Amino acid sequence: MAPSQAAQVNLSPAELSFLRSSLSQTPPIRLDNTKGPRDFRSMVAEYDVLPSTNGSARIALDDGTEALVGVKAEVEKSLWRPNVEGRRALSIAAGDVDMTDDDKLESHDNKGKGQNSWIEISVEIPGYRDDDALPVFLASMLTESLLSSGELKDRLYINNRFHWKLGIDILLLSPPLSYPLALLSMTTHLALLTAHLPALKSEKDEDPLFDDDWDAAVPLYPKSDSSGGANVDKPPVIVLAMAVGPNIIFDPCKEELAVADAVLAIACAPSNASSTGPRIVSIRTIDPPSHLTPPAVPNAMNSATGGVAPASTAEALTQRELLSASGVWTPPRGGMKRDLIKRVSSMVVDKGGVAEEVIAALQAIEVG
Amino acid sequence: MTTAGKIVNNEIHLQSIHHQQTQPHQLHPPEHSDGEPETKKQEMPLDTSTYSLALLRLDGRRWNELRRIHAQINTQAAADGSSYLEMGNTKVLCTVTGPAEGRQAGQRGAKDNEAKVEVEIGFAGFSGLERRKRKSDKRTLEMQHTLSTAYSSLLLTHLYPHSTITLTLHILSQDGSMLAACINASTLALIDAGIPMSDYLVACTAASSATTSDSDNSDPLLDLNNLEEQELPFLTVGTLGRSDKVSVLICESRVRMERMESMLAVGIDGCKRMREILDGVVKEYGKRFS
Repeated sequence: MAPSQAAQVNLSPAELSFLRSSLSQTPPIRLDNTKGPRDFRSMVAEYDVLPSTNGSARIALDDGTEALVGVKAEVEKSLWRPNVEGRRALSIAAGDVDMTDDDKLESHDNKGKGQNSWIEISVEIPGYRDDDALPVFLASMLTESLLSSGELKDRLYINNRFHWKLGIDILLLSPPLSYPLALLSMTTHLALLTAHLPALKSEKDEDPLFDDDWDAAVPLYPKSDSSGGANVDKPPVIVLAMAVGPNIIFDPCKEELAVADAVLAIACAPSNASSTGPRIVSIRTIDPPSHLTPPAVPNAMNSATGGVAPASTAEALTQRELLSASGVWTPPRGGMKRDLIKRVSSMVVDKGGVAEEVIAALQAIEVG
Repeated sequence: MTTAGKIVNNEIHLQSIHHQQTQPHQLHPPEHSDGEPETKKQEMPLDTSTYSLALLRLDGRRWNELRRIHAQINTQAAADGSSYLEMGNTKVLCTVTGPAEGRQAGQRGAKDNEAKVEVEIGFAGFSGLERRKRKSDKRTLEMQHTLSTAYSSLLLTHLYPHSTITLTLHILSQDGSMLAACINASTLALIDAGIPMSDYLVACTAASSATTSDSDNSDPLLDLNNLEEQELPFLTVGTLGRSDKVSVLICESRVRMERMESMLAVGIDGCKRMREILDGVVKEYGKRFS
């Protein structure tokens, strides 16, 4: 379970209790009362903002949080991998593949030749060291969702000796007002979607030579596959959802997270086949900051308000157990029920679901 | 002798390239291709040749011209103050947090009587020519220290006891004059944050152009880019607004004593122009509220 950010919201137990009860109504009343449970914060997005990168994007949400992502690709010498070489030699020796066929395969098919280490993600958050828990976990969650399809790393393959090394630098320009995972993921998605690599002019295992015309550059995520179909993969995007009582709320803000029962980060990629909706590539639960909020003291346990203070901690615990439904703030405990995870994931990936909306919105930025 | 020969070859080659760019129809006089003393070769020959020819620098500027400066103020809603500054291809984004209670539990704020100024500089991995993860190295620490001491004396810190003012600088693109760009961006962000200070702190870089074999006079150059910074001795000077009061002065390269004065003069003159530009940005922003 990934840790939540260290910065705490300064809300009293009474405020937390109020917020929770309004969020668990049907329909829920959110902190920004103009928004429904599935509404995201409005954003300003732009791409190709940095001239010295292969792809870049900036997204600013209306609460002032802002992220900038630069994707930079560099040619790197591949390490010699004996198992890949060995397999090729064997197949030639066995005589079942003749040379011409082998060459053709090599130039077109780089399936399974990519390596995870060719993609490097770094997350920088002001006020955090780069080995703090938050940036490290955010980076690993983003890497995990990006590597899951396996198609991206295969596209970084140039030839047996060289490959592209993709460096993705994610900068949160503002302090992390809410859990920044969704914002960072959307910005990365947009940057990758608009990233281009120079067109390769050399052939096979030559030293790579590239077309110096930037207009001829090929997109990192091609718009259509080799046969002209729309059967291509797209970068994943992570959606943050939280559960409060019976309700599921998307894109929670910091105060809403402070009363969450459970928080889920769901990474979705648009599916290859256009007929079905997006598919889930990874799911993580996130430790909600509500677990760390201080519990309220009910009148019955407070000697200042006429109650009787419990004599021992064991007694206090029993009394608190009985309080759960009384509206006195007690930090939520426990994890997520399977049924809840099922509901959240179907809300995300169903046709017309949240993931489809987000992906379509980000796609529209690039097109429009 | 072999090294001298190499340099001369290099020089001719580079000259011919830049020659075509600046003055296509004029043959370059081949005077200093041979018999040149090695002592004069300590600076890169690249700048020497083109600059002495047409008195134009590598990017076509004259000696006293600043690069294109574009600045914005209040770029981010979440920060107390923010700014974005471009000096040529150097791009810096600055946000200010505070005056606020400090982060560290032990030393919240500084002394009883004044605020502490903390500076955090982050080089983005994509800011340079090659992607490099830059850990906080000595140069960054020194820049942070320079900024923090300069602003501690400039800001009216006694108004905010027990508190911290945090400057966060993101360097998005590097092309010379890093420290100067950081100072200018910080000034704008601090103005946006409304933290009282006595005057604008503005900074510029100045260098002294390389000399040729036949003449020993060198021009001072204003506002260097990355290439020039690598080739020429330069200094960064920061002054307080319109006055000639120097607040920041850093020179890390060896330079002849008698050239220092003209470099400083040009730098200070550049700072005055920089102040006009930044002042224009602030006033333009202020018009929105009138």
